[in-house]
Amino acid sequence: MFASRRKPLAPSLSKSPMIKLSNVSKTFDRGKTHAVRDLSFRVEEGETVVLLGSSGCGKTTTLKMINRLIEPSNGRIEVGGEDVQRQDPADLRRRIGYVFQGIGLFPHMTIEQNVEIVPRLLGWSARERRERVFQLLDLVGLPPEDYAHRFSQALSGGQQQRVGVARALAADPAYLLMDEPFGALDALTREALQQELLALKRRLDKTIIFVTHDIFEALLLGDRIVILHEGNVEQIGTKDEIFSSPATAFVQELFGKPAKQLADFRDILK
Amino acid sequence: MNTTSWITFVTDRLPELWLRTGEHLMLTGCATILALLIGMPLGILVFKNTWLRGPTLAAVGILQTIPSLAMLVFLLAILQKIGVLPAIIALTLYALLPIVRNTFAGLSGVSPQVMEAAKGIGMTSGQRLRLVRLPLATPVIVAGIRTAAVVSVGIATLSAFIGAGGLGQFINRGLALYNTRLILLGAVPAALLALLVDFSIGAFEWGLRPQRKQEESGSGKAFLRRAALFMPLLLIALAFLSYFTQPSAGFRSPTLSATGRITVATKNFTEQLILGELMAQMLETHTDLRVNRRFNLGGTMICHGALVNGEIDLYAEYTGTGLTVILKDPVISDPEAALKHVTDAYRRHFDAQWLEPFGFNNTYAITVRAEDAERYGWRTISDLKEAAPTLRAGFTAEFAERPDGYPGLREAYGFGFGDIRDLDPSLMYEAVSKGEVDVICAFATDGRIAAYHLMPLRDDRRFFPPYHAAPVVRGEILEHYPEVKESLFRLKGVLDDKTMQRLNFEVDGKKRNVARVAGEFLREKGLIQ
Repeated sequence: MFASRRKPLAPSLSKSPMIKLSNVSKTFDRGKTHAVRDLSFRVEEGETVVLLGSSGCGKTTTLKMINRLIEPSNGRIEVGGEDVQRQDPADLRRRIGYVFQGIGLFPHMTIEQNVEIVPRLLGWSARERRERVFQLLDLVGLPPEDYAHRFSQALSGGQQQRVGVARALAADPAYLLMDEPFGALDALTREALQQELLALKRRLDKTIIFVTHDIFEALLLGDRIVILHEGNVEQIGTKDEIFSSPATAFVQELFGKPAKQLADFRDILK
Repeated sequence: MNTTSWITFVTDRLPELWLRTGEHLMLTGCATILALLIGMPLGILVFKNTWLRGPTLAAVGILQTIPSLAMLVFLLAILQKIGVLPAIIALTLYALLPIVRNTFAGLSGVSPQVMEAAKGIGMTSGQRLRLVRLPLATPVIVAGIRTAAVVSVGIATLSAFIGAGGLGQFINRGLALYNTRLILLGAVPAALLALLVDFSIGAFEWGLRPQRKQEESGSGKAFLRRAALFMPLLLIALAFLSYFTQPSAGFRSPTLSATGRITVATKNFTEQLILGELMAQMLETHTDLRVNRRFNLGGTMICHGALVNGEIDLYAEYTGTGLTVILKDPVISDPEAALKHVTDAYRRHFDAQWLEPFGFNNTYAITVRAEDAERYGWRTISDLKEAAPTLRAGFTAEFAERPDGYPGLREAYGFGFGDIRDLDPSLMYEAVSKGEVDVICAFATDGRIAAYHLMPLRDDRRFFPPYHAAPVVRGEILEHYPEVKESLFRLKGVLDDKTMQRLNFEVDGKKRNVARVAGEFLREKGLIQ
């Protein structure tokens, strides 16, 4: 059924797992509107970079340009040391795990079929796939014997997103792109999943780009944070760097606000 | 009607009911499968190419709006062929719309989020269609197939008009004979068949749902799922079974004269059926040929076309009809001269032979209610002149258009009627007797003239040509089987107007079986034992 019977992963490309954006812009309306303007940053091997910004700042656009769901208007994007424009889009995407904002599980497939889809596209054997699915469902805390044969409609939002993470990890990609994966979840579930992701991150050693509008999430998960505002980079740095020397007024206000809210909250409790 | 007569009525016809049901299912099945094979790729194509969308959906939409009977007759004219082929093409064209539209709607209805996910995890465009879009569109596509199949079952009843068989044949015959029981014998099974088709495809869709696959194997539900998936297959198997277990089905390939079979056809009214039966029984008694009856084929042009194509071997035609409708020659009032003219012309143009006439002259008769004739002193057609603009006429579709029908009549007498309505020949007599129309173009030999207390008016201008009925046979048949001519010769002049009226009334008025009435008459005359 699947034409491409290639090896699970292309080893030559995984030797330098790194994502690099150089002067990337994306414009709409024939250049009038900038979704992203002159963006450059680098994600090192095993590092987690969070793109932080309010909605419309260009963070999702940036993420989608990396696996070519959106093509940039200008600039150069490298994954594994090679220009993505010179890579086959389908191949590229199979090497990059992607967790979608709206989860995007296939409603006509069981959980097992959803998780094994990329290995299936890559031509893994049925036995290898099954082994991998069970391993992954255990990893994300969904006992496979209970969940493998279910359909996604029967799962809660948090469980669905665990499946989404399992699906992204299925072919053991070196890179993981996560687009506000926990945005639609309730606060308790979100916090639990954030902690689990943190644990996963330590165990799996992936290069991750994580998009969020939630400052706490950014501070919790990001080794470094890229702050975007209306398509422009405001600051790139570790949380300590940003706290100690906010680069712009926007950044100062952004990070000032939670502290102020916290103070207000304390006042109420008094 | 009591129950026992109903039971015998149905059990008598059970073998034919079985055959017609099979034919009906075959027509519907072939058309639906063809429409699926064409419609689904078309739906996908239209989905992928935006510029094709408008024109294609409009085209299949327009096909749907063509009245079914018009479509059948149109295809008949184009293909120059009666029977299954034009019927299947027509049904396929009708079934296209629901399938194309639902395929397109199903494919476009898939959530963009899911499609982006499919793209984002690295599916190629072909894989996205095959693994995600099509499976998710399946329920909508199957719903389209379901609509198409159910609509086909309904429209297939009309294909009997062009000789494709099916349950419509009972309805047709019932209409021609004005026999409600025959109509119901076609209509009720057709309705049940539609329900069965609807149910089986519905069950198939139910069994196809991904959630069903979760049912543990060995459980009752898993068995039910598998059974549901097999429903449409079962239906097709049933069609094949009933279609191929019948020894002499009416609508299989046209008979070849070399096989020792002869196909007798008739037009779609009682007298024709009686004449057809008389000829068929004579041939069965006096020759070794196997007679294939293709009765109720349709109007004049359909019978003539089928004769010329060799799809049928003989039918009874009227001299006046041959003259004006087929040959499009001017009216000849002298009966002898008219017969000679058509005989010569048919031999020259169509390689067909007119045999000796049966005797009666079934000319058109402008007919009114007897009480009206008495009240207003109408004796001749000319007497109607004054009242004509206020009179409502009910004519057969053929009469309303034929040069020797209403158009010529209006010219010859110099007046027309206030309102003209097309009526089926079988409904005309009752319509005038009930006062729904005032004037009809009765056939002079129709038994219902007397039965309904009607009064034919004298043709004082001698406008209507003579309509003496005679067998018309393909020349090739007479060459191979001279015994056909001999046995039909014995029917020469055996039926005068009164006798024909009586036989017609036995069938129309008393609702008796055509074959039995014809057989009795032949025995009475000593023509068969």
